[in-house]
Order: sequence, then structure tokens, then C-alpha cells
Amino acid sequence: MVKTQQVRAQPALLRRTREFIARSGLLVALIVLFGLLAIFAPNFLLPTNLFNVLRAVAVNGIIACAMTFVIISGDIDVSVGSAVAWSSSLLGILAITLKIPLLLAVGIVLAQGALIHMGAGFIRVRWSIPAFVVTLALYISLSGMAKVVTNAYPITPFPESFSFWGQGYVLGIIPVPAVLMLITIAIFQFLSTRTVFGRSVYSVGGNEEASRLSGIPVGRTRIIIFALSGLMAALGGIIISSRVMAGVYNVGQGLEFDVIAAVVIGGTSLAGGSGSMIGSFLGVLFIGLLSNGMTLMGVPPYWQEVARGLIVLFAVLFSAWQKPIRK
Amino acid sequence: MPPILSLHQVTKQYPGVLALDNVDFSLDKGEVRALLGKNGAGKSTLVKILSGANQPDSGEIRIDDKPVSIPDTRAAFDMGICTVYQEMSLVPGLTVAENILLGRWPQLRLGAFSMIDHAKIRKIARGALDQLEVTLNLDEQVSRLSIAQQQLVEIAKAISFSPRVMVLDEPTSALPAGEVAVLHKVVRRLAEQGHGIIYVTHRLQEIPRVADTVTVLRDGKVVGTIQVAEATPKRIANMMIGADWQPTEWGAKSNPGAVKLAVRHLNRKGWLNDVTFELYGGEVLGIAGLLGSGRTELVRAIFGADAIDSGEIQVNGTIVSHPSPNRMKANGIGLTPEDRKRQGLILPFAVLDNLTLASLNRLNIHGILQRQRAQGLAMGMVESLSIKTASLSVPTGTLSGGNQQKVVIGNWLNTQPDVLLMDEPTRGIDIQAKEQIFHLVRDLAQQGIGILFISSEIEEVLEVADRILVMNRGYLTHQFRRGEIDLETLMTLVMEEIGHGQDTASTSPASVAAPHA
Repeated sequence: MVKTQQVRAQPALLRRTREFIARSGLLVALIVLFGLLAIFAPNFLLPTNLFNVLRAVAVNGIIACAMTFVIISGDIDVSVGSAVAWSSSLLGILAITLKIPLLLAVGIVLAQGALIHMGAGFIRVRWSIPAFVVTLALYISLSGMAKVVTNAYPITPFPESFSFWGQGYVLGIIPVPAVLMLITIAIFQFLSTRTVFGRSVYSVGGNEEASRLSGIPVGRTRIIIFALSGLMAALGGIIISSRVMAGVYNVGQGLEFDVIAAVVIGGTSLAGGSGSMIGSFLGVLFIGLLSNGMTLMGVPPYWQEVARGLIVLFAVLFSAWQKPIRK
Repeated sequence: MPPILSLHQVTKQYPGVLALDNVDFSLDKGEVRALLGKNGAGKSTLVKILSGANQPDSGEIRIDDKPVSIPDTRAAFDMGICTVYQEMSLVPGLTVAENILLGRWPQLRLGAFSMIDHAKIRKIARGALDQLEVTLNLDEQVSRLSIAQQQLVEIAKAISFSPRVMVLDEPTSALPAGEVAVLHKVVRRLAEQGHGIIYVTHRLQEIPRVADTVTVLRDGKVVGTIQVAEATPKRIANMMIGADWQPTEWGAKSNPGAVKLAVRHLNRKGWLNDVTFELYGGEVLGIAGLLGSGRTELVRAIFGADAIDSGEIQVNGTIVSHPSPNRMKANGIGLTPEDRKRQGLILPFAVLDNLTLASLNRLNIHGILQRQRAQGLAMGMVESLSIKTASLSVPTGTLSGGNQQKVVIGNWLNTQPDVLLMDEPTRGIDIQAKEQIFHLVRDLAQQGIGILFISSEIEEVLEVADRILVMNRGYLTHQFRRGEIDLETLMTLVMEEIGHGQDTASTSPASVAAPHA
């Protein structure tokens, strides 16, 4: 019996290899991009530059993890940019204006991030409102709330020690945000592949009705996914606050679309049911390397935006071209 | 006068099935012909050939005695054959008038620009509705209409093509009893206006009201065409079934145990009327009923997949309040749904994932999946149900229908249920797979599981069930033990229509007796 299992376990390995090859379109693109930048972008290969890239993509990477779950489940969350801004503002108000101990303030910000999104998830589930609409409403109101509490002024100063989370280094060279991102990715990778919750996310996105009829708590799963999205956005807001050492009402603006773009480039289907954390990580890296390289080569920022947009389009076209066209 | 439409020696072969076997058929002007036959008798193939969706392998179709070929649906329209399908093809967000002329909206040209000519759309649509002598608000959104009204819009759409022959494919299967009469009136009116009408149906009772003649198909052949006056339910059932059919005797007798599931006074407006019955451990309880009889709604209600208006569900003697699939699963009930592709499986997912979908909540320690155990459980199911699959990791969608169905059943067996509700487990699978499912159902009952078995094929219900409940328009109308009823009688009971004047008491047995009483 044990033996049969081992014999049958072989194809699972094969399948994973095949999945890897399917994913490797992006990996190959990443390597090619890396090679091109190494040749053409001045100072690209310097370790400090490469670590800077990791730091620059960290917040997007962290939020992309939760966004991957959201998109696998067949939903979308456009509110994360505003949630980052709101969390940064709230942290400033709590820790600086109200003088609440920093650690407690951080805890409160994380908790409210999860709770507000949980509420949005509940509305999504209870009244079957499309996630896009619910999170669009959340996006607008959180952006407004951030301005309400800060009067649209940055709130300073945080205690000097707080800078560690956004600007500090581990082992003298690895940026702390990058470490936080890698830990987050590891946790989400584990969640998505090894836990009942993670498999439920895929099931719910793959076929909601079949999942419901198999007794999977579809609503609860969706609400938890939303809570995770809010939690990661709040964490992102805290890291950015530490980087700029202020509670700022407009940080993270437009970040939601970079994150969604990275997840889509990473091979997660907007139709739901499939996708992976590693893919999203590669997607985030790809966009990060591209931006960094273009900056090093002196491409004007506005043109960089145009290029990023085209990359998303090409990535999606590429994956559509890979798959056989279904009837 | 030559017939308006005739078929000569029409044959259509599908892989493994002779769907139509030298069919001769003719229809006169002003005639309403009811077309009957069991599932798979060839009705839908005939409809598809007339609508241009399929081409016959051999034979000839004549319109007004002139041979024609119908290469596609457009050609069918042009030749004056319009088909109205069971599934509606209306756009819910558009108005009645816009739907009637869907895809053919007249335009007003203003130089280089053009816009829709709404006045003209309304005029043509009005004409079509007037011909049916029905009144509908032309500017109403179709989504706001009742199903019967939508059906009328569908027919008006067909009429606007000025067809000579109209094919109605089970037009009443989705209609509430009260709205059927309106449709029948419209059909008779169209016949009086000289259209030839082919009316596909399962309901015997509506034949005398709507049809002039009846053609019965069996195994792709025309069994016969008779006048409606001769078409007694008994005779039609006999024509549909053919030679004497006997269910296989099962060697092992069932040995019913305690009541596993008790359903009391279940009501859901429009679907379930005071449904009361009991299911014992170790028995197979068959439900015989047509599509739309409420059989699927019944099992979904028991499983908590749809809300009920009132009633009580007891599992192992305890009332389950606020039933939901999750809660019912926890109480030991499983449901293999009617539509395995949409409701039972996540087709792109691996066989392993689909076999453990319902048991994920037991295959973990503190939320972390026990992959070895899941693998073992799935492997065990593949072996015990002999599921033919290359490995546990291939997408379930690549399996054959029968094997997919086994995956759905295995998914639930992995939860170790006390009761399994099986909604059409044999739909769309081959004979051999069917036999395997029958044996499996009997085996499971032997192991003490209570099984509720639904099938559109009445023979199948007779074949596997220890007890049979007949369901009709949301009522349980009769119950029989194995051997108490023959196929012909059961088929007549299933196809008989319950009028909407009948009261609950006379149509619903107050309670269903114990099988071993």
C-alpha cells in the first residue's frame, strides 16, 4: 500500500515540474531582463542596487501575496492603495498626535486593517455584491478618511528607532522590508499549498457552487481572504511610514494597480481558481527590476509608466497565447 | 395536398449510438404533432436536424414536397422552420420588442450615421404578438417577465420569421401549472393559422389539449403515429417502452435498519408541497419524477443548498435547524448533485483535489493539510470504485463521464456519510458505467448507508430501488415497494399531470410507511 502511494506520488512531481515550466515563461523573461540590464544599465549589478530593488518592491510584494488569494478566489481588491495611505495616516495620529506607545499603535493599525476589510468581505458575501464595487467604495472612503484625520499634512516625527522597519538592514546589507517580504511570501506559500484554508481558496475560485455543495464554508473563506488583504495593506502602510518617517495621507496611491498587474503577470487567472505565490513574487520582481533598470538608464518616469502598462499587456497576451483557445 | 414537411429514411449515427434509424415522418399544414419518447429515443436529434444544428447521414427532408438540405440554423429559418428550445435565448436586459427582433434591428440612416429605428422595431414586434393574440408591454425588460411570458416572447420571435413549421422543444417543462394553458392556446391558434407544429413533450396529460396526432420514437425508430383520440396514457407508455422489461433481481435482499433521515412537511413555494417521507439505513429509496417535478429541489432542500419555507428535517432522530450544506455534511448527509460538471466537480482541478473536497475539514491537524492521508484516502477511492485515471494529479475534466461521476461519489464517500442523496448519478454516462453505478449503489446500501436515488430513467429507479416514491409538480403522489408496480404503470403515474385545483391531502400521502412494517 505504502509502495503504491510512492509509485503514484511520482506524477505529482512531474506535474509540479510541468507547472514550473509553464511558469518559467516569466522566469525566462526575468533572466533575460536581468541580463539585458546587467549589460545596458549602469551600476545595475552593484549589490547595493540589487538590494535597493528588493527594498523598493517589498511593500508591493507583501500586498501581492494577499492579492493573489483575492484573485484566485475570483474576486478583486482595488482598495489596497488607499488602505496603505489610511494605515500610514492612522499610525501617525495614534503614535504622534495621541502619543500612544508605538508598538501598541502598530498593533491597532494592523487589527483595524484586518477588521475594515473583513467588513467589506462580509458585505461582499452577505449581499453578493461584486468585490470590485465594494472595494471601490472602500478605496474612495479610506482615501478620504486619510485626509480627514491628517488634514492632508504629513504627521511627524516618529521616534528614531522606528526607522529600522523601513530603512534598517539585517546582516548589514539585506533591507528589513525585503526580509519582511520574504517571510510573508513563505507564509503565504505555506498557506496556499499546505492548509485547508489555502486549498479552499482555490476551490472557491475554481467552482463556487461545487465548493458550497461540498460543504466548504465559501462565505467564511472569502471574508478571511479580505481580512488578509486588509492586514497586508496595513503592514505595507507601517513599513512605508517607517521609510518616510511620517504618517502620510497619500502614500501608496495607485499601488493597487501595480500589485494587480504583478499578480496577473505572475500567471494568476482573473477568472479565479489558479495562480501561485511564487508567480506573483516573480511578477513583482519583474516590474521592480524593469523600473529600476529604466531609472538607471535615464528613462523619464512618465515613459516608465507607459512601458509598465505595455508589459502587463504583453504578459497577458503571452499567457493567452500559451493556452489552447477554449470553446 | 402534400405535407408541409416530410422526412424520408433519415438516419443519424453518433459514435456508438444510432440516434435516428431510417425515420419517416410527415406533418400537414395546421397540424399539431406531439413527439414523444424516452430520453435518448432520438427526439432531440430529430429537433437538431430540423433546426440545422446537425446534418443527417442519409435520407431526405422535403418541404412542400421539394427536397431541401438544412446546412445550418440560418438556412432553417430561411426555409421556414423555426425551433423554440427549452433553454431560452433571450437577452434579459433588453425589452420585449428588442428581443423579438434581436440581431435584425432596423436602422435609420442619417448620412454617415445610423441609429436604431425603435418605431419600426415596435411595429414588427407588435405584429408578432398580435398574431399570437397575447398582450405584453413591448417596452418591458424581459428580465421582469414571468417564465411563461418569456416563452411567449420566444415564440413571438420565431413567428416574426413567418415560419411554416414550428418546433417547440418541451415548452412546458419549466412552466408553473397555471401558465401552461396560455401556451396551449397560443399553439392551437398558430395551428389554425396554418402553421405546422411539432410539439416535443414528456407530459401525457397535455397531449389531448394541444395535439392532433402523436408520434412515438424509441431507440431512434418511429414506433408509430396515432390520432390523439387513440392516445391513451397506457398505449403511449407501452409504445415508449416496447418489449416486456423486467428489472434485474438482486441476489442480496436489502435489510433496512433504523430511520436515518426523516423529512416532515417540507414546503417551498412553487416547488415543494408538504413533502413527508422517511429514509432507512440500508435501503435504496428511488424517486421517480420528470424534470421539473421537484425532485432536484427536494434533495437540494434536504441538503440545505436551497432555503425552505417550512418543514423539518431530522437526521438520526435529531432535528437539524437552519440546514446548510456544511451543517448537513457534519450530520452525515452527502449530495451528489445533478450537474456534475457545474455543481459536483472543479473540472480543472486534480482528481486528488476533487476526491477530498468534501473531507478537507477532516484531513487536517490545526488547519494544516495531512497530505499523506489525503493521498491515501483518494488512492483508496480510486481503487475501490475502480476509477480509471492515469494518476491522482490529472485534471478531473479529462476523465470520462462515468469516471467523473465516480469521483463525485468518492468525494462524498470519503466523508463516511450515513445518507447519500444521489441526483441523477447516471446522467450522460455509458451503459457499462451505469451498471457499475447500480452495483455501487446496492453495495453502499448493503453497508448500511441510506440512499436516495433520483433518475430520469424510470427503469433505473425500478432497477435499483427498494422503495419508490413518485413525485409530480412538487407533491409525493404515490409510493410502492419493489415489485409492487410495473414499468408501464409507473411511467403513466410519472407523466400524469396534476391539475392546480387539487388539494394537498389527496395528492400527498400523509406519511410513508416503514418498508419492513
